[in-house]
Amino acid sequence: MSAPLLACRGLTVARGRREILHAIDLELRPGEVVALLGPNGAGKSTLLGALAGALPPVSGAVELHGRVAVALQSPDLARRSVLANVVAALAWWGVPRPERHPRARAALATLGAEHLAARPASELSGGERRRVHLARAIAVAPDVLMLDEPFAGLDGAARSDLLADVTGALRDPARATLVVVHDRAEAWALADRLLVLIGGELLADGAPGELLAAPPSPPVARFLGYDGELRGVDGEESERLLTRPGHVALDPRGRLEATVTRVIPTEDGARVELSLAQGRLSATVDGPPPAAGARVRVALRGGVRFPA
Amino acid sequence: MTLLWAELRTAISLIAHGDPYLMQVIGFTLQVAAISTAVASAIGIPLGLVIGLGRFRGREALRILANASMGLPPVVVGLVLFLLFVPAGPLGSLHLNATRTGVIVAQSVLALPYTVALTVAAVRALPRGLPDQARLLGAGRAQLAALALREARVGVMAGVIAALATALSEVAAIVIVGGNVYGYDQTLASAALFASNAAMYAEALAVGIVLLALILLLVGGLSLLGQFGGGIRLRLGPAA
Repeated sequence: MSAPLLACRGLTVARGRREILHAIDLELRPGEVVALLGPNGAGKSTLLGALAGALPPVSGAVELHGRVAVALQSPDLARRSVLANVVAALAWWGVPRPERHPRARAALATLGAEHLAARPASELSGGERRRVHLARAIAVAPDVLMLDEPFAGLDGAARSDLLADVTGALRDPARATLVVVHDRAEAWALADRLLVLIGGELLADGAPGELLAAPPSPPVARFLGYDGELRGVDGEESERLLTRPGHVALDPRGRLEATVTRVIPTEDGARVELSLAQGRLSATVDGPPPAAGARVRVALRGGVRFPA
Repeated sequence: MTLLWAELRTAISLIAHGDPYLMQVIGFTLQVAAISTAVASAIGIPLGLVIGLGRFRGREALRILANASMGLPPVVVGLVLFLLFVPAGPLGSLHLNATRTGVIVAQSVLALPYTVALTVAAVRALPRGLPDQARLLGAGRAQLAALALREARVGVMAGVIAALATALSEVAAIVIVGGNVYGYDQTLASAALFASNAAMYAEALAVGIVLLALILLLVGGLSLLGQFGGGIRLRLGPAA
């Protein structure tokens, strides 16, 4: 495994007197795309600012080999042409003048925004602004690239188009990339490693599939979509079982008895919330869902166990 | 009404015949306006950029001070400068009282708050992410200032226009510092005051008319320049 481009140990950061991040340890290696996921107010943007050197830590240190470029969450562009905006970013970074235009055009092409080069930035749509904003950060070819919620504020179609283009654009064997994402689906699509930040603490660090299959703690599990919780399922009172809807099936031969408390229709059927003597579960149903109040039988097909 | 009409006719004839006194006052007024606006811009715009972009302690206090300075009473400014410039005063060795240079200094002091305060306001009205993003991509101070000046140019130009308008129309400070010496260090505004005090209403009106025309011409011209400057650049942008 190659040496990390960025490493921090015991990184503690405060804004004013309030401590936002508590003793963060992490490493970013070349070629990696790492997603940073966490609820609102977890300290994601603060962590980005601290890793980029924009916020001084209270204690701990960031060790950096190379240069960091950060793309902030709001895609504010100068009132100039798209190309001029990207060229300006290259000038800020210190790229020699003759290289600026070709590199700016190449970065725009990488993000599928080449055709926008001559357009005034003020006339772009939200998705187009995001592309140009990201092109600026990719054009400077940093050793470590950090993106703060690159898809914030985009609607469905623009979001999935951009996600598809960015997924390709972020792959670079020499660069480490850290992306703050808000939505779990974006993390699965983009990243080969996932960091979960909750309440200023890094509670999980691993491959997305592995973390989803075996979350290290109940808070991480709940954040990753484990919304069912049962106690003493197999007579083990000291254990609790956390489940995702995919682990729960309505099955007449199922071992557990439950009452339907709520039915939420979805595109493909419904999500059903269930109340049991041992706790609560939620399940997805493809066909016609049962009515609220109905008694059903439930079979479990997975879940993770934690000490109660 | 008849008095006004009669004086107005005399005033227009004074202007039409290019009265030498009037020409001299116009010349000095343009000189004062040009130099004090240039000085206020050269000092005030960089200062405004520093206060608007900087992240140091006390910048908020400086911003409030700049805003408040726009309300400085010209009489007080004139009095303080006069007392600084008297032979026994701290700046007495400069011999500026009752001189043209003294008038230009006084108008520059009065114009400065406008360029500072309006530059700060224009820079602070920019989307926060723009300078922050530039910093994060490695922009140095000069690059940051150039970016902010370019993006905030309409607001900065408003500061320059306000400075020019002040230089043209303020009268109290320059009368105290310059002494309002007839035919020497009078501007159109102070000449109008002088003439009306002396009951020379035709002269006062003539000066007033020229002053209004000059304000309209210069301030209007500068405003159009600011607007077209932005517009042309935006329109040419895509072709470049």
